[in-house]
Amino acid sequence: MGDESVPYFLGEGTTKTYQIPISHLDYKFIEKCTDVKHLEKILRVLRSGEEGCYPELTLACEKRIECLDPRSRALRKDKPAATASDFTAEEWQAINSELMSWLSEMNEDDKKSQLLRTDTPNERPDNLPPIRCSSSCPPTNQNKNLQNKQRSKKNIPRDYSEWDKFDVEKECSKIDEDCEESNSKARFFCRPSLPIIEKKIDTTGMTKREKIFIATREKEKGNEAFATGDYVEAVTYYTRSLSVIPTAAVYNNKAQAEIKLQDWDNALQDCEKVLDMEPGNIKALMRRATVHNHLQNYQAAIEDLNEVLSAEPENSMAKKSLLEIEEKLKGLKPVSEPQGKGKKILIEEIEDSESGEGREENTEERERRGGDKSCGAAAAARAAAGEPAMGNAHRKSHGKGKAQQDRDAHKHKDSAESGGKKGASKKKSEKHLSDHEGEVNGYLRSDEKSESAEAEEISTPHGEGSQSAGGGSSTSLPPAAAKLKSEGNELFKSGQFGEAVLKYSEAIEYVTGLGEQSPDDLSILYSNRAACYLKEGNCSDCIQDCNRALELQPFSLKPLLRRAMANESMERYRQAYIDYKTVLQIDSSIQAANDSANRITKTLIDQDGPSWREKLPPIPVVPAAAQLHRWDGGSLTSENKPSTTDINREEELQMNCEEAAEKFKRLKNEGNDFVKMGEYEEAAHKYSECMKLNTEECTVYTNRALCYLKLYKYEEAKRDCDHVLQIEDSNIKAFYRRALAHKGLQNYQASADDFNKVLVIDPNVVEAQKELEEVTQLLHLDSSAGDGSQQAHGKKITIQEVSDPAERGEGPLAAAEGAEEAEPKAVPRRSSQKLRVSEPPNAYDFGQIINALNASKDKAACADLLTTTDPKTLPVLLSNKLEGEILLLFIQSLEHCIAGKDPGLAYQHLFYLSKAKRFKVVLALLSKNEKEEVQHLFDLLTESQSDQYSLEDLESLKKVYEL
Amino acid sequence: MSAVLGLERPQVVSHVQQALSYTVFDCKWVPRSARLMCLGSAARGTGIIQLYELHGARLEVLREIEKPKPIKCGTFGATSLQQRFLATGDFDGNLNIWNLEAPEIPVYSVKGHKEIINSIDGVGGLGIGEGAPEIVTGSRDGTVKVWDPRQKDTPVANMEPVQGESKRDCWTVAFGNAYNQEERVVCAGYDNGDIKLFDLKTMSLRWETNIKNGVCSVEFDRKDINMNKLVATSLEGKFHVFDMRTQHPTKGFASVSEKAQKSTIWQVRHLPQNRDIFMTSGGSGSLHLWKYEYPAQRSKKDSEGSEMGVAGSLSLLQNVTLSTQPISSLDWSPDKKGLCVCGAFDQTVRVLIVTKLNKI
Repeated sequence: MGDESVPYFLGEGTTKTYQIPISHLDYKFIEKCTDVKHLEKILRVLRSGEEGCYPELTLACEKRIECLDPRSRALRKDKPAATASDFTAEEWQAINSELMSWLSEMNEDDKKSQLLRTDTPNERPDNLPPIRCSSSCPPTNQNKNLQNKQRSKKNIPRDYSEWDKFDVEKECSKIDEDCEESNSKARFFCRPSLPIIEKKIDTTGMTKREKIFIATREKEKGNEAFATGDYVEAVTYYTRSLSVIPTAAVYNNKAQAEIKLQDWDNALQDCEKVLDMEPGNIKALMRRATVHNHLQNYQAAIEDLNEVLSAEPENSMAKKSLLEIEEKLKGLKPVSEPQGKGKKILIEEIEDSESGEGREENTEERERRGGDKSCGAAAAARAAAGEPAMGNAHRKSHGKGKAQQDRDAHKHKDSAESGGKKGASKKKSEKHLSDHEGEVNGYLRSDEKSESAEAEEISTPHGEGSQSAGGGSSTSLPPAAAKLKSEGNELFKSGQFGEAVLKYSEAIEYVTGLGEQSPDDLSILYSNRAACYLKEGNCSDCIQDCNRALELQPFSLKPLLRRAMANESMERYRQAYIDYKTVLQIDSSIQAANDSANRITKTLIDQDGPSWREKLPPIPVVPAAAQLHRWDGGSLTSENKPSTTDINREEELQMNCEEAAEKFKRLKNEGNDFVKMGEYEEAAHKYSECMKLNTEECTVYTNRALCYLKLYKYEEAKRDCDHVLQIEDSNIKAFYRRALAHKGLQNYQASADDFNKVLVIDPNVVEAQKELEEVTQLLHLDSSAGDGSQQAHGKKITIQEVSDPAERGEGPLAAAEGAEEAEPKAVPRRSSQKLRVSEPPNAYDFGQIINALNASKDKAACADLLTTTDPKTLPVLLSNKLEGEILLLFIQSLEHCIAGKDPGLAYQHLFYLSKAKRFKVVLALLSKNEKEEVQHLFDLLTESQSDQYSLEDLESLKKVYEL
Repeated sequence: MSAVLGLERPQVVSHVQQALSYTVFDCKWVPRSARLMCLGSAARGTGIIQLYELHGARLEVLREIEKPKPIKCGTFGATSLQQRFLATGDFDGNLNIWNLEAPEIPVYSVKGHKEIINSIDGVGGLGIGEGAPEIVTGSRDGTVKVWDPRQKDTPVANMEPVQGESKRDCWTVAFGNAYNQEERVVCAGYDNGDIKLFDLKTMSLRWETNIKNGVCSVEFDRKDINMNKLVATSLEGKFHVFDMRTQHPTKGFASVSEKAQKSTIWQVRHLPQNRDIFMTSGGSGSLHLWKYEYPAQRSKKDSEGSEMGVAGSLSLLQNVTLSTQPISSLDWSPDKKGLCVCGAFDQTVRVLIVTKLNKI
């Protein structure tokens, strides 16, 4: 970091090129600069190395430019050509095999065409147009002159001025006098408004290959024209393509272009041609339905849509249009009797259908790309307007079939949501649409998308079922397979992944050969094999196996994780992200998944920009049954309502959290940078912003504490350290910094305690040792200055520390542990004082207090502690720190101080104490006397009846206490 | 899934590298085959035509023809798919058409120019472009001439500066607008940055502009459609894309420019299967793959009510650096999408595969 500060200290002065002030070559400046041009200059200076080499700063500058202008030219770097290592084995193979197959095809073709060439030695000379300016002129006298003139001119080349003088109209009219073509209209600058393109291609004498070649090219031209919105041109080129070789695909595309031109009759004809060639072509059916709809042949439209739905029951587009048309039909029938109204409603309906159409087309990419922007906006607006109408349609349909109601309601919500989103931000939908570039229409693709989403939803109940079934059954592999599997496991452990794969494969074969095997075993086998593949780096096979495993056993963790890893290493970040997210839905505590998801989020943001999330395929919703219940006790009940919407919402929350995490990271890094530059105020500010996003992250607090220390704000620093220690009870940095804060506050005792703690955790911290020495000296000075003054001092601090009970408890402990001249008398008093204040918030503080109390055997204080503590939290607070002495202390304090006053509370404590970890062990180790104490307490409780427990309860609890 | 893959960027793979013993000026795929031509100049000052065939991961020489003069450029544009005659322009200003089956004597030969033919293009053959097969040549002598192989000795059109006006070196020529039998234009680029568009139907200079730097390469996105876009590359690393659909009476065609690198852009070639994707080759041995994105509205009315074009935007799909020497020639295979060949001054010809082009 030192190098960066060099130009900073140099102060005024400018760089040699561009004359940028040296002070601009600075993290802080770059971070704040929004002028891309200036930043690019800075980057150039940095890259040139003329002001010194600062790789980190250069990187920061690049990042800043990328953030401001991702397309900046400064970011372009030389790259070598891609090699096999840039692709997965699969892709590489595909590339090569594609080329090879083309090569062999070409070779074959070559031989054939050579044969053909001998057969047809000459192509069609008569078809060729005449030679320019010579034979095109009819042999009349007048033109002969012209011809001669031109001929002579050719010898003396025409110069530009002559070109300009050339009277086009006159010449043309001369040449074309006898021709019927009205080319003379062509003017100097204007092109003919409608270009005359031959609708047919003369294909005489062409081989089949050539015809295919030409037909394909004409189709490509058509597609390109369609893409730019030149539908007339597109239709022309499609017609040309069809004149060479008629294919269903081209007819289909042509129909789409004709629909855009609202040329319904031709569109209908073309759809029918497609359906003649390929009965059941979904696109053609959909298009014919659209045409029928516009021609008001509603019945025919419904038939077509029904056919689509019978082939693809999940086709949402078809469903929507079907509902719309049915609605229209319904609206039409009653109205057809009173003639006067009929017309009006008819008009409305046309509008209505128009808006429906608008929405439909909205999901097709070409509309947007081709149409002008205002048109696109209108379409979006229409789509938004169309939404409520569709909502109505849905609602009405509910009346029809109650059985469907739930499903419909669900879908309705979904569609409304997505519709709302689309309507809200046009940009978004544009992005979405651009996904479909390259194909003439988006029907199928978008349908597939929505289908897959629905399929996921449908599959969830299955998943639930099989998951629970899987949970119930234990492995029932046949012995041979089990043996193979365990052999495989052994091999895997020893790192022989190749052999392990063979074993697993054998096992899989064996199991599948048996037929009716339980899916979960097979799933595990696949999952294991996937692990081997993953280790070998064979990602594609790994993914395949994971897929199989997941088919058999949806939402099982390991295959999901493995697939995620494989996808990640294949740089399929989106899939990997989805898988990690699914894993986290099942078990949110898997750190690896968390980390990876965060990492991928970053990559995806880099790759796709801020809207990366829109490009993700839907994340499957994990059924509640598949989620691991990590939280025991109370939180479980809250999780018991696993409705889909809840989960969706959770997901959304999760997503928000992630965005927050991103922001958090950024802020933190900014903060760190400020620290590096010594701008502690700024840094503290950044960290504070971080805390708004996430209160759990300790490092931010420790970092801010550091800033406060540097700024001499000891109180604040101490508070931050305290917060950290509440979360993480052995954070060495927090202890060290709190010690410094205490020292700054002249609270030397506490400071010494904290330094001691640091040394307990890591005895090698030299700074802490030095500081401790210093502090103990100061402490001596202080104590010699007078006991009274120290008392006063202590009191003052007590007031300050009222909010923090943990503080006091630990001071004496450390003193007892490490310091030589601790004052044992003061300890219990102090701790009891503070104990009255509030209950300890976490296990660490509790442990500290208990240790302190245990040292002093202060029953009263302990009783205070117990009264303030909620019995239910006892097992958590004790965690695994329960010991015989502590138990005894509890029993004694319960007996002496609590049982008399509040037997109910004593009972509760006893009850929950028995739930603590290590309770059984501790109990077994109690001596006879101690057991008597317990017995005594129970007797006391039996005597002083309470409505909080019955005698039976007490008896059963006694048994637990082995009495 | 498909949407996800669609966002992946195309990759440029160097499939074959073939070192040559001569300087290669131009390389061209032979249509309807897996063969390619390399044209150049041997060390002893003769012209070389080499025919290679792609066999898996190597190039095999099928034929090597030596001619007296170094060959600068070649095209198959004016020949039929059956014949596949190669038209070449050499250092001496000769236009020759060769039957590769019998290359001893040219099928057609004319001393077209006084000096080197820098650039050649053909139209009307290969099923590309309506109308007569024609070849256009651009030369250092400042003239641009259009030839019909059926007419011996004289060009069917000749475009040259007024006598007295300094002759500019014509570096590049291209056909376009050949969507029916009558329409056809020739675009020529000169060393002083002039771009001239000649309308062969009306025999007039339709439009001219100057892009300030020498024009190294011009190409229409497709020759056989109502002219749509024109790309012109320059000596100083900039290139311009003109929207040729709407011509404003005074302002001409709208354009967008982009700087690919600091060095000269030697060549631009549009993907034959998608007119909106093109590749530029640079003096620093780099290739850039671009995509043109149309604006929402391609034309608008200006204050006087005449139509004027609106330029779109360009996005860089991929860039690779293959060599330290300039890549002087580039050609996409008309038959296999994504396959292309390029020749560089390091005496190497490379067959490249550009992946994922159908997913853009």
